[in-house]
Amino acid sequence: MDLVLQLFFTGLGIGAVYALVALGFVLIFRATNVVNFAQGEFAMVGAYMMVVLAVDLQWPYGWAFVASLGGMALLGVVFNLGVYYPLRNRTFLPVIIATIGASIFLSNTVLALYGPQPQVLPSWFDTQGLQVGPVYLDTQYLLILAVTLILVAFNFWFFEHTLLGKKLQATSQDKEMAALLGIPVATMIMLTFVYSALLAGVAGILVAPILFVSIQMGSTIALKAFAATIIGGFGDVKGAIIGGLALGIIETFGAAYISVPYKDGFAFLVLVAFLIFRPQGIFGERVAEKA
Amino acid sequence: MAISRRKFSTAVSASLAMPALIGRASAQSATIKIGMCAPVTGPAAEAGKYAQTGAKLALDAVNKAGGVLGKQVELIVEDDQTTNPGIVLAFSKLASQTDIVAFLGSIRSTQVHAMAPDVLKIGKPVMIGGTDPALTHMGNQWLFRFRPNDSYSGSVIAEYGVKTLGKKKWAIVHSTDAFGTAGGKALTAALGKIDGTTIALDQGYSNQSQDFTPVVLAIKQSGADILGSYFTFENDLGVFARQLRQLGVNIPYVGSPSIVNVTALKLAGPALFGTFGVADYAEDSSEASKAFGKIYRDAAKIAPDNQSSWTYDAITILCMAIKKAGKTDPAAIREAILAVRKHAGAEGEYNFDANGDGLHGYNIVRNEKGTIVFDKHIESAS
Repeated sequence: MDLVLQLFFTGLGIGAVYALVALGFVLIFRATNVVNFAQGEFAMVGAYMMVVLAVDLQWPYGWAFVASLGGMALLGVVFNLGVYYPLRNRTFLPVIIATIGASIFLSNTVLALYGPQPQVLPSWFDTQGLQVGPVYLDTQYLLILAVTLILVAFNFWFFEHTLLGKKLQATSQDKEMAALLGIPVATMIMLTFVYSALLAGVAGILVAPILFVSIQMGSTIALKAFAATIIGGFGDVKGAIIGGLALGIIETFGAAYISVPYKDGFAFLVLVAFLIFRPQGIFGERVAEKA
Repeated sequence: MAISRRKFSTAVSASLAMPALIGRASAQSATIKIGMCAPVTGPAAEAGKYAQTGAKLALDAVNKAGGVLGKQVELIVEDDQTTNPGIVLAFSKLASQTDIVAFLGSIRSTQVHAMAPDVLKIGKPVMIGGTDPALTHMGNQWLFRFRPNDSYSGSVIAEYGVKTLGKKKWAIVHSTDAFGTAGGKALTAALGKIDGTTIALDQGYSNQSQDFTPVVLAIKQSGADILGSYFTFENDLGVFARQLRQLGVNIPYVGSPSIVNVTALKLAGPALFGTFGVADYAEDSSEASKAFGKIYRDAAKIAPDNQSSWTYDAITILCMAIKKAGKTDPAAIREAILAVRKHAGAEGEYNFDANGDGLHGYNIVRNEKGTIVFDKHIESAS
């Protein structure tokens, strides 16, 4: 039982990271109908910004965090203007290719600016973890879970109870109708990119003390987050969260009870099973609303 | 403008002859060229930088001493992207330059396996750092190893753990790539030769894992009293070491060389304090190692490790062999490398065997609060 609890906690923690990145995928997909394959690199850039500010420049952690998020918001704006906006009237394929290109560009830019050395970002807490009975709770995982919960609650409140959130939803559901209603569609899409970049940045910064900060950290997480998005139901916020958490738990238990080397395989096995038997994912995409 | 038939014929003849003339001119180029496949990008990019620094330091020393065969030696680096397709591409790009006389391959066995068929086709000497024993035992006469192979590391880890630390119930954790699998097998085989030892757990993992909780819990449940490991990437080792300590596993730990790499020490920090490692490069193990340590520290401003020491030795010995051969003919260079005896390199004393293995033992070092301290050298009997 101790083993099960320990695995469950770790799986939830890893799953929460996937969920945060997956949330970014979903928001952009809903707003633009394309998948942003640079979402993982957003997480990596956020973590590097934090390393530069908190470690290299020795800024207080809180200020470094706020400034990093500011940098991520700016990245969201630049990404929207430089990658999405020029191709907005094209089919989804050129945009997806452009996001893949942007992800390679971001990786290599960080490599050129910062060098290949993996970096250590200290944890937010002096205490590494708490021993609660037989289970060791890593404080960083606890923080990740708490932030995920807060962001889920914030998402719900923002999209369902604020005018801006409703405008964003309207834009994601039908851009032409939203424009007819006087909603500035281009601005709404830009805000979506900013919000997604912020989410990815938060994920990158939170996971950095556990996985270290390296150029390829984003791509590893993004691949799983993408799988989580499909499992949860592409385009569904709830789905991204549940999909991410489920994936984290499935791969952790799969590794413990079946095979460690095939850990990544379980995630993609589940993905393939969903693609065959329930391609719309757990919650399903609201196709009818987009039609 | 009218072109006469004569002018046209001359121009066509010149165009046709030019590639051959250029090829000939470059074959007789002013420098001796050595190609190097190094990870400039990808997960091992940092290690790749160290490797290039080591090679360039050796090259500087050779060129300052007058070069080779009356020419300066030039290093041409191609990015292997830390991937198998990447190194195949990098090697084929380098191999297409016919004036490159020899090459430096990878420290990663899996990449050396990937490029090995092309090495055989090209038929020129390739210096390698990959430690899978099979690499020099699969009929490829052009691979020369500048680190001790894992049959030696396995026997040294086993001997140190059992005879010096007095532990007999082992947990083995290894990557499932070519290096890790071969290392795990070598350690298992070495332990099998020592009476009274048992393997409580033999656990593989895939590279770039984000979480090692299941592995650590398996070690805990196995009741092992000592841990041996073969980790390929330092960030995996960092995550593993931290989780090992967090989940309360504090048994003695003897790891493969990556456990004492500069990057691993930085990432894992206190989680690796008190561990032991087999290290092909240990700064205090010999005068040659100390000398390399000094020039590397002066140049790179960081501590040296095996990523840079093997390339330093490879370039030094390769240039020595070309000099001794007196020509750049691949077969002559091969013979000269295989004839190297008692050469004091940064990694240890080189005595090449017929398979192309230059080193046959390992140093045991321990991590004392982040400082790597040389314990002893064990020359393998196997």
